[in-house]
Amino acid sequence: MSDLFQHVRSSQGIEEYQLKSNDLKVLMLQNSSTPVATFMVTYHVGSRNEAIGYTGSTHLLEHLMFKGSRNYNKEKGTAIWDELQSIGAQINATTWNDRTNYFEVVPKEHLEKAISIEADRMRFSFIKDEDRQPEMTVVRNEYERGENSPFDVLDKNVWATAYQAHPYHHSTIGWRSDIENVSTERLKEFYDVYYWPNNATATVIGDFDKDETLALIAKHFGVHKRSEHTIPKVYTEEPIQEGPRRVVVRRSGQTGIVAVAHKTPEGLNSDTHALHILGRILCDGKSSRLHRKIVDQGLASSLFMYDFPFKDNGLFITYAFLTPNTDHQKVEDIILNEYTSIKTEGVEQKELDRAIAQTKATVAFSRDGSYAVASALNEAIAIGDWQFYTTYLDKIKSVTVKDIKKVAKKYLHDDASTTGWFVPKQ
Amino acid sequence: MSFSEKVLVFENLDGLSTYIAPTQVDGVVTLSGSLKGGEFHAKKSNSKIASLSGSMLDKGTVKKSKHDISEALDSIGADINFIVSNHHINFTAHCLSNDLEKVILLLSEMLQEPRYDSDELTILKKRIIANLERSKEDTRKQANINFVSQLYPIAHPNARYNIDDTISMVDNISVEQLKDYHQKAYGLGTINIAAVGDVDPDSLNQLIINEFSPMAKQSISNEYNFPAPNKRVHKFIECIIKDKTSCDLFVGQSIDINDNHKDYYSLMMGIYILGGNFSARLMQTVRDEQGLTYGIGSGMAGCSYGISGHWYTWGTFSPDILDKGCDATVEQINSWFETGITEEELQAKKTTFKGAFQVSLDTTSGFVDKILTNAEKGRSIEYLDKYNERIDALDKQSINKAINQYIDPKSLTTSVAGSLK
Repeated sequence: MSDLFQHVRSSQGIEEYQLKSNDLKVLMLQNSSTPVATFMVTYHVGSRNEAIGYTGSTHLLEHLMFKGSRNYNKEKGTAIWDELQSIGAQINATTWNDRTNYFEVVPKEHLEKAISIEADRMRFSFIKDEDRQPEMTVVRNEYERGENSPFDVLDKNVWATAYQAHPYHHSTIGWRSDIENVSTERLKEFYDVYYWPNNATATVIGDFDKDETLALIAKHFGVHKRSEHTIPKVYTEEPIQEGPRRVVVRRSGQTGIVAVAHKTPEGLNSDTHALHILGRILCDGKSSRLHRKIVDQGLASSLFMYDFPFKDNGLFITYAFLTPNTDHQKVEDIILNEYTSIKTEGVEQKELDRAIAQTKATVAFSRDGSYAVASALNEAIAIGDWQFYTTYLDKIKSVTVKDIKKVAKKYLHDDASTTGWFVPKQ
Repeated sequence: MSFSEKVLVFENLDGLSTYIAPTQVDGVVTLSGSLKGGEFHAKKSNSKIASLSGSMLDKGTVKKSKHDISEALDSIGADINFIVSNHHINFTAHCLSNDLEKVILLLSEMLQEPRYDSDELTILKKRIIANLERSKEDTRKQANINFVSQLYPIAHPNARYNIDDTISMVDNISVEQLKDYHQKAYGLGTINIAAVGDVDPDSLNQLIINEFSPMAKQSISNEYNFPAPNKRVHKFIECIIKDKTSCDLFVGQSIDINDNHKDYYSLMMGIYILGGNFSARLMQTVRDEQGLTYGIGSGMAGCSYGISGHWYTWGTFSPDILDKGCDATVEQINSWFETGITEEELQAKKTTFKGAFQVSLDTTSGFVDKILTNAEKGRSIEYLDKYNERIDALDKQSINKAINQYIDPKSLTTSVAGSLK
């Protein structure tokens, strides 16, 4: 290993290093089953770092990061998309509450190209006003496409109702007027505050030589210094919710949707794993409780729940997509009655065993392909500890039926709830 | 290592072939298979019979209730799914390697001994109709249905029914029709099964033989009698859907070519250069330079199994700038048609294709898809070995000739859906 790096720790074959010169973190997992590698850079900046007036800025900035940097730009004939797509790479970037990530899945012989491009745009992106104007309308159309979907609109409304002070109040795409009006200077400021090696993790998964790759990372990312400023922390906390909240969205449409949401703790909280098992018992698979009581009865065409672990608090949300003429209240009552049943009666051991088996398979498939591993690690990095990924299954296996009843009582209570209905207007 | 070295091919019985590729992935297997018998095969009576014959397979077998099935799968974290496409009944399974035998036994039972319970059919219909009702507000689906409906007469395999007709077809299906179709279609003759992952090929193949060999021979017709596509005409179709902030646009036409034709790869590459990825012309101009859309691209569809299909460009635009977006799109299509592609574009896209092929094999599902699609088209595994050769053999002149021969910008069908101004 190069002496430019310090080995930090290892877990389940994944090794963490730190580039001594600028504190860039590096995660590596070798797998030579196919001659492919994924390179991903995760920045600790997402929509939680935004405020009124510049919601959606992290995402708009992510778009501008493809417009050109010192060594990769149209003028030089080295535009980022062209350079990477011409080698058959899968390439993209995504922004979410707690992070922004840029990634390339490449034939292994082109790994240096991906490293070089990500290093260049880490500090040398142009972020020009002449690029922002056409890209703003691109992003606005992305927003408009989302607004076409009743589910997307309801989901945004549920979060905006559940969270009032904390920036999870607004969705990652931002509010339309902010997308349209945020200045290039504000985006550049955002870039200069957060896009530094000491606020990023580079992840390499797949078929690569470890020492050569570390050397390449040092060569390309080593040109950057660590930031001279401290990366700002988000200090806004959501006040305790003191009563149930409701939101109704009425617009043209065909069928209704019911959402039942409850506040959850931060992702690294020790209750997270029991809540995940609870979610599976309620909604995962055709043998889950709510599938049998709602979908099997023809009251909804489908249902699902999510409880993503975030850096700060989250939501435990169940969604049911109603069949025509099904009463919203009836389905909402079924969901809440099932929650009550678990709070009072608990769950059976066989339900827990089934949920653990489902998780075991999900975790095994999350290692199928270099991108899948990088993507799962990316979310763990975002909430503050990449070992959340490597220890997840062991922690899931240690959940007991008692834990599930405890978290159901602790989090699924009326005063922490937000209920959303999409009501179609004919 | 070539494809033919990685994949073990077993021609087991008359009409049952397996393709198995052990890889270094740890502890998981992806399996995917199909047999002929998709919606087109049921079209003379009601194409949705084929579709529901597949959707009902997880609703109970003669021996097991739907809850027994879901319990059996959920308790090991496995899944089995059935999707009926235009031509095939497809099934996929994901599971841990240790559970593969259980999954194969269950899959085999679901395929061979469905219960087809009438109460379950009633519930399923209700759910399907809810999804269909919901799709009436989906701008992309509506624009596409209207677009395709202009290209083909309803008896053509690539035709699409409108939503109300589809609802009526679903509503009219009986259990007897499903049983009858199952008896004809679900049999040996055209079954291909591909499996990739942490798997022992010989034991898996033997298990498949044991489980599938009792099936009777399928008796669906392999004859394709259908009308030609509609005459190409210049046409503009609008579909108004209220309260939508983005409109969907489809532009294109039918093309007299299928994927066995000698010009197919040339035309495919030409259309890819127009709109196959972000660095293709449409995204570079209509999105990147002009900022008119979040996404726009082009491709070919319906060109398999000896059937001629169509080419299309799809994009989304705010209602306020839809006209501008349509004009910008057509301008790019005209320019592409008139000037053709450049040598530089071709060379860049050749490396794109070859690299993307390599990258697509990084997951078990990507690998399985490649094997199964190839097998469904009746091609040997060696055909995949020669993918790069076929791409390398393409030249600018042939591509521009194909564009000129198969595309006619003067008779494009345009379909838009959304809250049009």
